[in-house]
Amino acid sequence: MRPLAALALAFAAALVAPAAHAQGALVFAAASLKEALDEVAGSFALGRAGRVDVSYAASGALARQIERGAPADLFISADTDWIDYVEQRGLAVSGTRRNLLANDLVLIAPATSQVKVRLSPGVDLGAALGKGRLAMADPGSVPAGKYGRAALTSLGAWKGVEGRVAPSENVRAALALVARGEAPLGIVYRTDALAEKGVRIVDTFPAASHPAIVYPVVLLKRSSSPVARAFEGYLASPDARAIFERHGFRLP
Amino acid sequence: MSGDETGILVLSVKVAFAGLAASLPPGIAVAFVLARKRFPGKTLFDAFVHLPLVLPPVVVGYVLLVLFGTQGPIGRLLEPLGIVFAFRWTGAALAAAIMGFPLLVRAIRLTMEAVDPRIELAARTLGASRTRVFFTVTLPLSISGIATGGLLSFARALGEFGATITFVSNIPGETRTLPLAIYSFTQVPGGDAQAMRLALFSVLLSLAALAFSEWLVRRSPASAHHA
Amino acid sequence: MLEVDVAVPRGKFRLDAAFSSDAPIVALFGRSGSGKTTLVNAIAGVVRPERGRIVIGERVLFDSARGIDLAPEKRRVGYVFQDALLFPHLSVRANLAYGERLTPPAQRFVDGERVLALLGIRELLDRNPVSLSGGEKQRVAIGRALMASPRILLLDEPLASLDGARKAEILAYIELLRDELRLPMVYVSHALEEVTRLADRVVVIAEGRVIAEGPAAEALSRAHMGALTGRFDEGAVIEARVAMHDARFELTTLAFVGGELVVPNLDALPGEPVRVRVRARDVSLALARPSGITIQNVLEGNVVSIGHEFGAIVDVHLRIGETGLTARITRKAASDLALVPGSRVFAMVKAVSIDRRSVGFA
Repeated sequence: MRPLAALALAFAAALVAPAAHAQGALVFAAASLKEALDEVAGSFALGRAGRVDVSYAASGALARQIERGAPADLFISADTDWIDYVEQRGLAVSGTRRNLLANDLVLIAPATSQVKVRLSPGVDLGAALGKGRLAMADPGSVPAGKYGRAALTSLGAWKGVEGRVAPSENVRAALALVARGEAPLGIVYRTDALAEKGVRIVDTFPAASHPAIVYPVVLLKRSSSPVARAFEGYLASPDARAIFERHGFRLP
Repeated sequence: MSGDETGILVLSVKVAFAGLAASLPPGIAVAFVLARKRFPGKTLFDAFVHLPLVLPPVVVGYVLLVLFGTQGPIGRLLEPLGIVFAFRWTGAALAAAIMGFPLLVRAIRLTMEAVDPRIELAARTLGASRTRVFFTVTLPLSISGIATGGLLSFARALGEFGATITFVSNIPGETRTLPLAIYSFTQVPGGDAQAMRLALFSVLLSLAALAFSEWLVRRSPASAHHA
Repeated sequence: MLEVDVAVPRGKFRLDAAFSSDAPIVALFGRSGSGKTTLVNAIAGVVRPERGRIVIGERVLFDSARGIDLAPEKRRVGYVFQDALLFPHLSVRANLAYGERLTPPAQRFVDGERVLALLGIRELLDRNPVSLSGGEKQRVAIGRALMASPRILLLDEPLASLDGARKAEILAYIELLRDELRLPMVYVSHALEEVTRLADRVVVIAEGRVIAEGPAAEALSRAHMGALTGRFDEGAVIEARVAMHDARFELTTLAFVGGELVVPNLDALPGEPVRVRVRARDVSLALARPSGITIQNVLEGNVVSIGHEFGAIVDVHLRIGETGLTARITRKAASDLALVPGSRVFAMVKAVSIDRRSVGFA
């Protein structure tokens, strides 16, 4: 076949390909779920017809995309605000929402750092930060950042560090900053800290200092995929739970 | 316009201008070398200059972090000199400069290649050293390319997001330029109106830059030559 | 005294040329691509010879044996290009001043006012080069080169991009400069007319080699002109002196070794030496001195050689006294007259065919 015609045909085929998704499922999930969810999706696909594709990003970005008609079947958010957002716009199948996982918030430092901090009321992070900045996901919009600010506020430490924050696009970017040693301290989820060898956990934020960190999952109305329903069920299976636990998540 | 918004605008212009100013001398030099010189590895060098154009901005941002961060080789070298890029507007300016560099070089190079090298020769026979020829003949005749390249680079800087947020994060007042601010507002439910406003200012800024660039080209005496 | 001896590899061929001159103008004459421009570029320092020596007076510009290679800006060699190459972003005034400003005051010997007057460019000072006509541009280019007080002026086909009337105009200016300024010039051209008019000394170049060098008439006739100038221009150059003027019929008689030539009135004094170009196509031959014809010039001489024996047209080389002349006639005519080397012939040249453009003043 003439090269130009072949190219045009391949292009057209690629455009038609998304329809093949009807045979699988598209999951939108918060960035902090990456390692764990990839493994679960892989384990689900073994010996089963139909594949699961996961798209990771900040929960807010995903919610907006869903609002604008993205062809997602399932949405797993890192906080309740964005699931509420999707539900309020009538995009979710009622009765399918449940809390899938729970997580803890931790204060981290580069692996080589010897810094010691106790996260109790009245704690002063300024001394530990020195000239550096506190790396965290954007406290204005990203769930991990919002939890972080809430926790620091309740401990009375937010005012002291508000001007010293380095807001990242998502929690993984904040993690990277600390792992590289660019920031002396950072706030991430326990699961993130466990996944990165370049950081060590300095202390865990008291559960009472912030709203419960839960990961709600919901099925979306646009979905017509049987694989999506199957996957949603699989998420609660013993196999899947074991994988999540291994990565550091708590199960509600 | 609120005080915050003015701050964001001023920061964006400051960052874009600083980025442009810093990239002009090396941009002109690189364009000249590519336009006039032949040397082994020239194609490779040319490709290298164009890297920021083809790489994902986040990758460029990450490379900048590795090199110019407080732990990076170049960052550590410059720190005792008082030059710090990490988490500062200077870092945003650096990211802007790097991302716009290929556009700057391309535009200037094209114009320089259009300057008849024999005119430079004529200047030398009249007693001008190579350096003098460059400043009194080549450069003035390349003004339109410099203006165009500068405009492209400035516009790119105004819109720079990926490399900036990856390298210096989104610090209000320090690195939260227009694109990062617009992004932040879109992340918050109900922030759309503010995001729109900022987007409008972006457009107005770009138009102003375009008008200035046009004026610069028109008033240069070399423009008659290109007419 | 200009001494040049260089070898420059140039793609397909190699320029390997040597010549010297202390004449006011020395012309480098040859076809396009023969290497003339490479030669002046070597003198200017624009191109570096593989080996050789270039000296102007006591100043060595290039000497490969001694490792001397002056940068162009140090050579003080003025260069006028075929297409002027004025700086488009500067006014005429600034163009002229460009080289002057770069010349140390102690070394400035050119009188700016005189240059402006000689070239008639004063009224162009505030103009922009882009708005000038071809002739005006060329005059400014010459002025610009002169204002830098060069030791020598190189002109590379300066008339090539001008039309007929402009050519004549600029040619006159160059003649004026040659006579008024004590500045040696090297004039590169493939136009026989220009060379004849301007140069006392000619260096003929073909395929990268000097094939003739010397006083104009001698060098030009020695070289096989047909190959160099193209068939249209084949001819001879005769050195003569103005003998007398005929005021009534406005004619001038020129005397040369071998005879006399009558030409339309020349503005010259008796005794002045001139060079006359006679085109081969304007020369007819007869076996006996004709009578009752309009042709003023009938010169007696002998056939030296006859050109290619093919085609309709043939060149017959003659000797008129001590001077060479060429006649271009049909092969049939040569055959009809049974012309062979040694044949005694009468060469006829119409006075009208020798116009002002064919005459150069030494």
